[in-house]
Amino acid sequence: MSNAEQTAAFPLAPPARPRAPGRPAAAPLGRASLIALSWIAPVILLVTWEVLAQYGWLSPQVLPAPSKVARTAYKLAVHGSLLDDLGTSLARAAIGFLIGGTLAFALGILVGFSRLAEALIDRSVQMVRAIPFLALLPLVIVWFGVGEGQKIFLVALGVAFPIYINTTLGIRQVDPKLLELGRVQGLGTGQLIWRIILPGALPSILTGVRYALATAWLALVVAETIGAQAGIGFLAMDAREFLRTDVVVLTIVIYALIGVAADSIARLLERRLLAWHPNFGGAPR
Amino acid sequence: MSGPALSRASAAGPAVVVSGLQRSYGERLVIDRLDLRIERGEFVALLGESGCGKTTLLRALAGLDPIQGGRIDAPRRPAVVFQEHRLLPWDTLWRNVALGLPGPEARARAAAALGEVGLGTRLDDWPRNLSGGQAQRVALARALVQEPELLLLDEPFAALDALTRIRMHLLVKRLVARHRPGVLLVTHDVDEAIALADRILVMRGGAIAAAHRAPAPGAPAATRAALLAELGVENDLQSA
Repeated sequence: MSNAEQTAAFPLAPPARPRAPGRPAAAPLGRASLIALSWIAPVILLVTWEVLAQYGWLSPQVLPAPSKVARTAYKLAVHGSLLDDLGTSLARAAIGFLIGGTLAFALGILVGFSRLAEALIDRSVQMVRAIPFLALLPLVIVWFGVGEGQKIFLVALGVAFPIYINTTLGIRQVDPKLLELGRVQGLGTGQLIWRIILPGALPSILTGVRYALATAWLALVVAETIGAQAGIGFLAMDAREFLRTDVVVLTIVIYALIGVAADSIARLLERRLLAWHPNFGGAPR
Repeated sequence: MSGPALSRASAAGPAVVVSGLQRSYGERLVIDRLDLRIERGEFVALLGESGCGKTTLLRALAGLDPIQGGRIDAPRRPAVVFQEHRLLPWDTLWRNVALGLPGPEARARAAAALGEVGLGTRLDDWPRNLSGGQAQRVALARALVQEPELLLLDEPFAALDALTRIRMHLLVKRLVARHRPGVLLVTHDVDEAIALADRILVMRGGAIAAAHRAPAPGAPAATRAALLAELGVENDLQSA
């Protein structure tokens, strides 16, 4: 029900990053050198991996060298179907996100505003939410087969809960004093929603979007590993058949990169839409 | 929105007339057959101990709470300045002031109102960049831009430091003199009431218990002593 539960369910960096008040601002080292420092460990890890692989201490069957993965990526992108598969996967994620997100947002708005809708809908949603949505996979396959419908449905389902929960939560948390002010200033219901309730709920809604993006991706990975004919997951399963570990590693890297990209998009949205908010805007005081 | 006979229709006359007002929370009667009349341009301060119902009265006048009996006659919707500034953090200052203003000239009117409170150069600034006193000045502009005939002030200066409070007093006095709404200032500060009001009321037991004209300039001591006595504050210094 709370953001904390969502955090537990989907391991992800906390979305709001208030500048830690107790922390001195990068005391002896500059910001740039700290960022450089933070890259040391990953780079060392990558170089070690490459060296181990080059000298044959690491079997290419187990873990191919990073350079080999990069070459495979280039080859597949130019001669193979990598870009098509990527496009297919992104399209599934986008469609599922749009369907699940829109429905959940609409439902969240309804439940957030109306006690009646809450009484009618909320308990059922919370009960369904208790099911780990991936546990529904066998049932979803029975319903939709292993075609596009199954994949999009699973993504939509995974996206729906974080968005629904954070939308209702955000609307509930709007400061009642500001609602009172709206009434005093003579705002009608529409104006009250547009000027006060939605902006007030927006930080929470965007938190939901961030979690939803992570879930969408997770759902897609699972859905695509079953009976896909195209897509990144299909690429991985196909490569596994032929013990092409380089391709498998490549697909894992791609999933990671897209996850990072999705998170960046969500954070960009937060920075743009929440410019007023001291925790998100980052505008200097 | 409210209980019996809340009308805001009459065209001219006083800023507000309250008669036989009753307001209760459950069984407890907080306002009991209260009568009050405030003329346009008149500045009325309402004093009272905590829990005497003065904020309850203000909220009833603002139309925020239902009333259980009596009537409130006000020609137009009153404007309110609360103890907290209640600025929308996601809107710039001019959009905050223009909240609820119709029409395309909303920005120009908001700009004029912000100019009146000395913030005319900061239309596009954000509330979080304001000090407490500045934020309260924006709240005052937001109330006055509505051109209210009744302005309700709910301890708006209570959270400000002493110097800022005095500046706010002067500003409010000047603006009220210019726009001439009827004003009801709820406060627990006797000196503030004396400094600002034409008429000072003391509320006790859910009704108006005492009323004072503003003291002559330079001679507030007697009024002050009387008010403190009515508020139940023993004042040894005055009795000498």
